[in-house]
Amino acid sequence: MLLRELDNTHGVLRSRTLIMMLLAVLASAVMQDPIDAVAASEARRVAVIARSAKAVCSVMSMDSPGGGSGVIFDPAGFVLTNYHVVGKPDKGYKLKSPPEPPDEVVDAWRKKTNGSQEEQGKFVAQWQAEWKAEHQPSGASHYKNKKIGLPDGNLYEGVVLGIDPGSDLAVIRLLPKEEGQTWPYCELGDSDALLVGETVFAMGNPFLLATDFTPTVTFGIVSGTHRYQEGGGNRMLVYPDCIQVDAPVNPGNSGGPLFNEAGEVIGINGRISIGDRGRVNVGVGFAIAANQIKNFLGDLVAGRHTEHGTLDMSAWFMNSRDGKTRKRGVFVQQTFADSVVAKAGVGLGDEIIRFNGIEVRSANQLATLVGVLPAKTWVTLRYRPQQEEGGFGEERQITVKLTTLDTGSSRDGTGDAARLGSRIDRRIATQQIVGAWIKSDEKNVAVQWTRRSPNETKLVTISDGERLRIESGQHIMVRLGPDSGFAKADGETRDMDQGERERVRRELACNPLLWPGAEIPARLEHALLVGGVHVHGAAAYRFAIPGDGDCEAWFFLDGTPAGFAFRDPVRRARVEWYVRGTKLRVVVDGELERGWSSGMRATGKAEDHWFRRDA
Amino acid sequence: MRTAMIVLATASVLSAQTSDFGKAYSFDERKPKTQVERTVDKLMPSIVKIHGASGLATIKAYATGIVVSDRGHIITLDQILLQSDRTRVVLYDGSVHDAILYPADEKLGVRILKISPEDVDGKLQALWPPVAKNAKYRNGQFVVSLGNCFRLAEFSEKVSATFGVVCGRANTALRYRMADVKYDSDIILTDACNNPGHYGGGLFTLDGRWIGLNMRLLDSKETNTMLSAAIPSRDLLPYLEERVNGEKREIVEVKVVPVWTGITLFEQAGRKSPPAYVERVKRKSPGRELGLRIDDLIVRIDDFSIRNCIEFRSVLKKYKPNDKVKVTWKRGTRVMSGEMTLAEEPKK
Repeated sequence: MLLRELDNTHGVLRSRTLIMMLLAVLASAVMQDPIDAVAASEARRVAVIARSAKAVCSVMSMDSPGGGSGVIFDPAGFVLTNYHVVGKPDKGYKLKSPPEPPDEVVDAWRKKTNGSQEEQGKFVAQWQAEWKAEHQPSGASHYKNKKIGLPDGNLYEGVVLGIDPGSDLAVIRLLPKEEGQTWPYCELGDSDALLVGETVFAMGNPFLLATDFTPTVTFGIVSGTHRYQEGGGNRMLVYPDCIQVDAPVNPGNSGGPLFNEAGEVIGINGRISIGDRGRVNVGVGFAIAANQIKNFLGDLVAGRHTEHGTLDMSAWFMNSRDGKTRKRGVFVQQTFADSVVAKAGVGLGDEIIRFNGIEVRSANQLATLVGVLPAKTWVTLRYRPQQEEGGFGEERQITVKLTTLDTGSSRDGTGDAARLGSRIDRRIATQQIVGAWIKSDEKNVAVQWTRRSPNETKLVTISDGERLRIESGQHIMVRLGPDSGFAKADGETRDMDQGERERVRRELACNPLLWPGAEIPARLEHALLVGGVHVHGAAAYRFAIPGDGDCEAWFFLDGTPAGFAFRDPVRRARVEWYVRGTKLRVVVDGELERGWSSGMRATGKAEDHWFRRDA
Repeated sequence: MRTAMIVLATASVLSAQTSDFGKAYSFDERKPKTQVERTVDKLMPSIVKIHGASGLATIKAYATGIVVSDRGHIITLDQILLQSDRTRVVLYDGSVHDAILYPADEKLGVRILKISPEDVDGKLQALWPPVAKNAKYRNGQFVVSLGNCFRLAEFSEKVSATFGVVCGRANTALRYRMADVKYDSDIILTDACNNPGHYGGGLFTLDGRWIGLNMRLLDSKETNTMLSAAIPSRDLLPYLEERVNGEKREIVEVKVVPVWTGITLFEQAGRKSPPAYVERVKRKSPGRELGLRIDDLIVRIDDFSIRNCIEFRSVLKKYKPNDKVKVTWKRGTRVMSGEMTLAEEPKK
């Protein structure tokens, strides 16, 4: 009995101890020692910095003592930096003339054709022209290669691709020391998700302190978001939507990345406000927001000279406009008579309500929303016209194309519409962009996509890969293969004419909405990046499809189809299709064709009668 | 049941009003997650932008203020830009209000502005009262400083936030340009950046306690250093209670008896006050007892460095007769020091 009691007590004791232990564990989990919490957060920070620092580089040119910073954002060695770090193109810089073709190439040609000396000369000239197209960028002005130092201790050479003098950006591609070389890189984050108070790090090479290129890391918080900073001086480097930070940013930090806590690049540091003491940090630094950079990424990577858009209009924020009500709003203050908005009917004093679907709450916000968009972007503006008898009329919406902002740097001779990277650079860029998209498993399906035209007729397209049927009211065009197909119009079936055949080929070649998802990489295999485009409020890449007809396929940055463009031989015009969800904008020879909408894209099994001539 | 519903309805209307006031910022944002983000988010509606008479040279025409009552009282650093009829306050929601100026507190160098609460949509979010125990701080404590530096924010845009620690507490004796700073007691030094326009904004702990009012940058042209500093909010209490709550402050009239040293300095009429060289020392004076001679250069009194004749006089105003001060002077290449007992001026 005694033994049992003892045993019982023991049991109680044991369970008590267990409970106590459990409680202790729980308590320590809940009331974590603050020092441990700080240490854990520090360890996380150290790990993130160690990881991201590898992608931060010093950008220098060999003939000037200064230098800036940059960050690799793609493993193939694409680097983001400031325009003011790469500077203006080298005046009178001549590209290398093409080399003589290698002997074995000429020998092979001679063996094959047994051609004359004169014909050989033609062959060499052709070979050299091909070499130029492959290796040399186009445009009027060029840069000498830059020297880029990485924390791995190596100095690389880099080709300057695209430049954005309007808001101070440039992209450089590192030249690999051995074939297939890749570099550590950091992804671009979402700068619109930033909040004042959020922890950030700036990295770079201030005062060129690091001779071994390990970046200097500074720490701070986001002091302000969506700041509009006007351009200064002749170069007019406007920062239309920048992030203000108190992390120290100093000369030499220019072009370096601003990271969030997760180690994503959320901005490029490029500017500081200074006190009375010269160009040193006073705790007010500005970084170009990553989301703005994404809007120009297509152009920058393709090696273009980007231009910013403008509405040719200024607005101001006013309080109690008529003195009686406490109404606040943004009103048109100035506009040119020949500006796009004035032509579309907007007048002085009209109230701006929305821009691209976003509610406009301040004048700076409107400047910010417009300033981050490239020129020639189609935008919507919702406004209420001011009426002569006072008050405002019904809300109206207009769709206009932004004109080109006349920045100082466009005027000083560096403006260069013909600028485009070499084919090699753009081929690598295309492979990288397409390779990074999420792989789709949509294959071996027929795709149907319907568009609704302004006069309510449906434009139905169905494709199963090789074959394509385009049905527009009574007019039907069917392509069965490269040389076969038929058309139906006015109740009669006939062969397609030359124009129809080309029209169908071009649509199939460049309309990505008709491609099964898994086939996209194969379809773009020979395509080359030619720039960027903005489609219904989101940035997209433009890829040129080889062949006649100026065909381009467009994709949003995440790889979803954004539209296409080609010269339509039936309409005898260049037609651009901007597609996002059910929104469809059709531009014919630069003019907007109103009233189009897009239906859903559907996939399924191909039905034979769609492609039967006798059906 | 009926009553309950009415109450509910009223409550929702009220909250709609307040949320309208808060919905000021031009861009949509995510919810705050970290402690700093939450604190900044909570405090922002209490910080206002102040615009005044256009500034002279380096003196800016903009500043920051803190709402201290829901009746429209706003405290800010007293500055040249605050001129009556020309001072406007921009609230968090972007609305602009004309402000009335209350008398400044000369000792603190701060001033209350008042806007009409009827013109405000919703209720003003006041940081009142900054109770003394809430105003405590320690060296090394993390702080957030809020203010509109360089006028980066306009209308409904958010003012800037900077982050740092309390570096220390210092007496204003260390300051360089005495004329710039009226406040004459211990100040909070911080490395949370302070810049023109930030003045009059607040210094807060991470849990959102208001510990200081941002002062002008303390700067030294000689060492090219600048320090960010704030007036402890605890010291603002009597002034706020008097001006905002209408509580009478006991004014203790102290009869000021000027001190006398018997030292005449070598001074010339001119723009710049010369260094404090002794020209004459009266017989039977504290100066003579200390052993000062002609051509001695007085460089220090207690903790205050004396760089010219004006500073010599202004520092002595802090003392009363029979106070003992430590004087340091240069004689030739030697630095000498000694204690001097200040006296009352003998009757003639």
